[in-house]
Amino acid sequence: MAPPIQNRIAVLRAERDLSRQQLADALGINYQTIGYLERGDYNPSLELAFRIAEYFGLPLEAVFSRQPFAPMSSQLYRKEDSA
Amino acid sequence: MIDDFDKLSVTELRLRGMTSDKILAEQKRRGMSKEAIHDAWYPKPPTYDRIGSRRFRRRLVLATYGGWLLVAVILLVASRVYPGSLLAAEVLPVLMIANSVVIGVWFFRRTYISREVLASDVGLDERLVQNRNLAFRRAFQIFVPLVMLAWPISMAVVAVEPNTHGYTGALLIYLAAAILAPTLPTAIWAWREPDPVDTN
Repeated sequence: MAPPIQNRIAVLRAERDLSRQQLADALGINYQTIGYLERGDYNPSLELAFRIAEYFGLPLEAVFSRQPFAPMSSQLYRKEDSA
Repeated sequence: MIDDFDKLSVTELRLRGMTSDKILAEQKRRGMSKEAIHDAWYPKPPTYDRIGSRRFRRRLVLATYGGWLLVAVILLVASRVYPGSLLAAEVLPVLMIANSVVIGVWFFRRTYISREVLASDVGLDERLVQNRNLAFRRAFQIFVPLVMLAWPISMAVVAVEPNTHGYTGALLIYLAAAILAPTLPTAIWAWREPDPVDTN
């Protein structure tokens, strides 16, 4: 079985104050699927992954990764330090 | 005008004081298609609600098939121990029919799980389509070998005992196939589907 693809959907959804239902409606999928994506129970198709990334206005690699994500806050501060 | 017009349902817009005429006019002004306006006013019922926890669904599957198996065993034993008794001849078949009715109610309730399994691709997202297809594929993989096995066994049972016992055994095998055929995809889907999440 393929390892689960990591994603930041839950964080991005919380940042934008979106419910699963609202995000699901916007993407045209079932809200349970959003939940399973967040839980890592389901790996999205490439098409759905692109749709999700486009909805959040982010590149695909900012939303999905094969490796565990570092916390966004630490990445943000690292960028600010180096700037 | 309500700021988050796009995010709210017609019912929510009405609760916020917008009249039906204003809602419709605003939808048209925003260039919504006729279909989109129709869907907004008459939203489709969710195809995927009230599925229950995975533990509940698994218990349900076990109870359904286990219940049938129990009745079948009792019927076989009773037909041998009390041949010709009312228990074997009349009461237990009624129990089996009752069990079948219970199976029907559980598995084909529109709001429960059958709709998901039997739905066309329209209204299902990619994950649900995959799950539905997998359920049918697994059901076929399980059902076909069982039938291939059950067919000669039922013939052998009747050949060895060409009497009531033999016919009862063959009938039970036939009924098992008859119960599995329509319920197995739903049972497999119910068995595999993870615990549901809430809408928030």
